[in-house]
Amino acid sequence: MLRVMDLHAKVEEQEILKGVDLEVRAGEVHAVMGPNGSGKSTLAQVLAGKEDYEVTAGSLELDGEDLSEMAPEERAHAGLFLAFQYPVEIPGVGNSYFLKAAVNAVRKARGEAELDAMDFLQLLRERAKLVDVDEALLRRPVNEGFSGGEKKRNEILQMAVLEPRLAVLDETDSGLDIDALKTVAAGVNALRREDRAFVVITHYQRLLNYIVPDRVHVLQDGRIVRSGGSGLAHELEEKGYAGLSDGSSGD
Amino acid sequence: MTVASGRSIAPYLDLRAHRDGEAAVLVARRREAIGRFEEAGFPTSRDEEWRQTNLGPLLRRPPAVASPAPGGLPVEAAAALLYEDCRRMVFVNGRFAPAASALPEGIAAVPLAGLSAAGGAAGTAGDVVLEHLAASVDGRASCSADAGVHAFAALNTGLFEDGAALVIPAGAVVERPIQVLWISAPAPAGRSAGDSAGEGGPAAIEVSFPRLLVVAGENSQASIVETFAAGPAAGGYFVCPAAEFVCEAGSVLRHTRLQADAADAFHLGFQHARLARAARFDSSSLAFGGGLVRNDTVALLDGEGADCILDGLYVVDGSRFVDNHMRVEHRQPHTTSHQLYKGVLAGRARSVFNGRIYVHKPAQKTDAKQTNRNLLLSGSALANSNPQLEIFADDVRCTHGSTIGRLDEDALFYLRARGIRRDEAYRMLVYAFARELVEKTPFEPLRQDLEARLRASLNGGPGSGRSGGRGGDGPGGAGARAGR
Repeated sequence: MLRVMDLHAKVEEQEILKGVDLEVRAGEVHAVMGPNGSGKSTLAQVLAGKEDYEVTAGSLELDGEDLSEMAPEERAHAGLFLAFQYPVEIPGVGNSYFLKAAVNAVRKARGEAELDAMDFLQLLRERAKLVDVDEALLRRPVNEGFSGGEKKRNEILQMAVLEPRLAVLDETDSGLDIDALKTVAAGVNALRREDRAFVVITHYQRLLNYIVPDRVHVLQDGRIVRSGGSGLAHELEEKGYAGLSDGSSGD
Repeated sequence: MTVASGRSIAPYLDLRAHRDGEAAVLVARRREAIGRFEEAGFPTSRDEEWRQTNLGPLLRRPPAVASPAPGGLPVEAAAALLYEDCRRMVFVNGRFAPAASALPEGIAAVPLAGLSAAGGAAGTAGDVVLEHLAASVDGRASCSADAGVHAFAALNTGLFEDGAALVIPAGAVVERPIQVLWISAPAPAGRSAGDSAGEGGPAAIEVSFPRLLVVAGENSQASIVETFAAGPAAGGYFVCPAAEFVCEAGSVLRHTRLQADAADAFHLGFQHARLARAARFDSSSLAFGGGLVRNDTVALLDGEGADCILDGLYVVDGSRFVDNHMRVEHRQPHTTSHQLYKGVLAGRARSVFNGRIYVHKPAQKTDAKQTNRNLLLSGSALANSNPQLEIFADDVRCTHGSTIGRLDEDALFYLRARGIRRDEAYRMLVYAFARELVEKTPFEPLRQDLEARLRASLNGGPGSGRSGGRGGDGPGGAGARAGR
């Protein structure tokens, strides 16, 4: 489903990604782990199409389509979803209004009929329940004044409503207490499907106790230096990133 | 009397007309106003208060009094601007159009021309009107000494032919807003003449002087919606309105000023509010149209506990210019003034916000707040913001703040990452910035109209004027840069 080959990307003349290879098949959950500054968040932003980053070499494909030539909204239409590490506060734009605009933009791009207010509300309520989001959050401006946990849950709600093919979760666990973490993980697990894949980017192994990955990759200095099964995450927890030997493969 | 070439006041003085039977007190006030205008002349760029307002393109052209409109026009032009079930006074080129109007009941609504001709025909309301009309509007004896003379307000006082006076009796509560419509519909010849500057000199520009007086009696409550708009296919005119609001003790007056003139019109307006004890004046000024627009607002908090809200929005694109000059004087204790002005600027638009708050020595416990926020949508747009506080009392709370910023790129990316197209995301964010100012009115039809106007102006539709199609920096233009 997702095929990243020899991806190089830079920001402000500084090369951050130095040849990333990653292949994710439908139904799989992949974890990308790595120390601070390894390029994890850059990978997420480059996948979503943030214009501050320039792809200098390599390729990005989703379902065989070249992502690198697509605008961020076109990537969303193609089925890509990024759960932001730092969800943006948007004063003056109501959360449910925003969600409706997003859902209908995606539906329209896919040639599907737009949802009317009643149908959308029904969908929204159902998904809010699925990922345990308080309906009061839907009436407030997007992320404005939300707690850290509310913001992350709001990301998961957006994912649930938009039904992506591939979801990239960028440090969705950071700043969450254990209860919020469990809620977020339960939301993700509820959305796991045969035809949907996840890339879970995280610094810590903790989240992977609740979202069990099929594959774990270690990103270091802009390259994936090691890949393995879910056991690799536990190894990292014990030995730390410094304890990894470069280039070797796990399982 | 001629000041300088192209800035001569003589052509304007020539517009004076003799009006039979005008009340002596009004004749005297008009004469005084013209005297002040003659003394002051037109402001120039050397005048601090007018430094950023370029009047050259207006003053180069000789003025001509806008002719009375053709018969059927007022009703048709007004129809689209009316709110359901609202009483209204409609004026075309500054003259009352009775056929299009529906005078309110329970309050006195007096066309000023009628008042002039018929003398005391309006009865006691007429006396109230004559007591207040032009008594303070252009600065005389009403502001601190440095307020100076407002040349265009003086000109309006000297030259207005007609206008509206609304006298709300003490204790009256008027449920629905009263609309006052000012439609500018210059003669077709006046429009095309704009290009003919040659041997004959610059073409004449049609000018009208709308005049409004609202007297809110003690403990009364009312809402006025003032709309400035162009008739079909009108352009290139000059509208020079002046409005006075007399808010008696305990009155609550809401005023919405919707300025939707043609994109190449000149609009130089003046409004003056005086608040007595515990009066409340809540005003919104929304500028969507006009090529060169200036609004001077003066609020005098003249009674203990008086409270005014002065809000505004300007949406400017192309090479248009909007200037808001505010002057609030706190003269008595426990008075409150809150100002919130927001601007959205695209293309090569320019704006000025100049806000002065004076707190006089007796005005202890003053609560004054002034905020001006500007959103620049292009690298060529320019917003000026000059807050000024002068405080002579020692126990007050005064704050002011101004911001000039651009659209939040992170927010834009966030919306796009959810599938919302760049141009739509752009509009959502700009609308979100401005919405509080169009949504504050509790009167639903007005709110819907203002929302629609804001959306249209962000779509490059009516109200956004000329740059919608060609601008490279507006919402539409930005969309072209999206993605690939």
